[in-house]
Amino acid sequence: MSETQKRTATDPEPPRARFELEDTGFNEVPKKYRKFYRRWSGEKDELAPNEVLCPVCKVVIRSSRELREGDRVYCMPCMSRLVVGRGQGGGLEATVRY
Amino acid sequence: MADFLNAYSIQNWLESCPQAYLEDTVFGHSSDEHEPDLIMENEVLRHDAIRTTVALVVGERCALAASSGLINAAPDEGSKRFLATQTLDEARHVEVFTQRLYDLGVAKEDLESVIAQHANPNLVKFAELLLEKVDKRDFLAGVVGQNIVLEGMAFSVFEMMHVMNAAMNPKFAHTLQGTIADERRHVGFGENRIGSLVRDNPARKPEIEKMQKEMSYWMLATFSQAFRDTSAVDELERIGQERTHSNYQGADLGKLSTNEMEALLGDTVLKEFKVRLGRIGLDYQSPDRP
Repeated sequence: MSETQKRTATDPEPPRARFELEDTGFNEVPKKYRKFYRRWSGEKDELAPNEVLCPVCKVVIRSSRELREGDRVYCMPCMSRLVVGRGQGGGLEATVRY
Repeated sequence: MADFLNAYSIQNWLESCPQAYLEDTVFGHSSDEHEPDLIMENEVLRHDAIRTTVALVVGERCALAASSGLINAAPDEGSKRFLATQTLDEARHVEVFTQRLYDLGVAKEDLESVIAQHANPNLVKFAELLLEKVDKRDFLAGVVGQNIVLEGMAFSVFEMMHVMNAAMNPKFAHTLQGTIADERRHVGFGENRIGSLVRDNPARKPEIEKMQKEMSYWMLATFSQAFRDTSAVDELERIGQERTHSNYQGADLGKLSTNEMEALLGDTVLKEFKVRLGRIGLDYQSPDRP
């Protein structure tokens, strides 16, 4: 059993879903990081469980695994460090760490 | 702090900007993209496009003067390097929007007179307020004015213009998309760098908030005059050309009057200011309405 599996077995939270990230055409960061971001298309844009919106530059940050409260993410397009939290509407929201 | 400032490297800028979204562009767009015939063959629409583009050149000249002026006022090497890249971004914006004036038929020898003729005096006042801080080498006020207020305004204005032009004028929309990408870095720097400085200098808050209030007033006055002066909506109606039904902030821009568009843009920018300033510990001050 790997270390990850051991931790998962004792973790009260269910394991995180994994996501295959494809290129979305976002080209505002170096090539190897592009799959981790996509353009936001406004209020009606529904975010997946592995996505959170950067409040500073309005780019969607994508992770290869499901995001949860307390996770730290980095917005490379605006170089902001963010922490994932729960918004008033129940969805995931990121706040900036200065 | 050290890790945070390390992100502001020239190498990072090279890989994110010239080697990314600007690759293979000519003055910010593809070489095979041109101003649409609808604009070039209609004097009213062409004139309106020139007036709008002059506002962009005036704003970007201010941003160029501010970002270059702030380099020597910056307290650390990381900020100096970032502002050096921002200076080149702003110089590029001046260049691409100036090139658009040429593409719209402005003769090179007439450039300055066309800018002087169409420059929005309220935008000039807005710029003077900011450049006064820069001239005093006031890094804190200068970055709030430049990277939060000016760039925050530009971010929203460019986004609105981008959605308006995406279908009708892909060349201009493409140019705007590159400037929006640049603005992401600029607003990010403003928030990330200034948050800690505001915390360390609480006595400066009232003065900076006063500057924000004054700059916001001149911004609203700029919008007011710009939308009052525009003749594009009436002309499109006169020639029977349907407006593009693009969505901005949940509204169909093809259905809004110019007054409604002005209100939507003003409210959007002020709302953004409030949120951005709140994040860095400044209290947003509501401006008087022009």
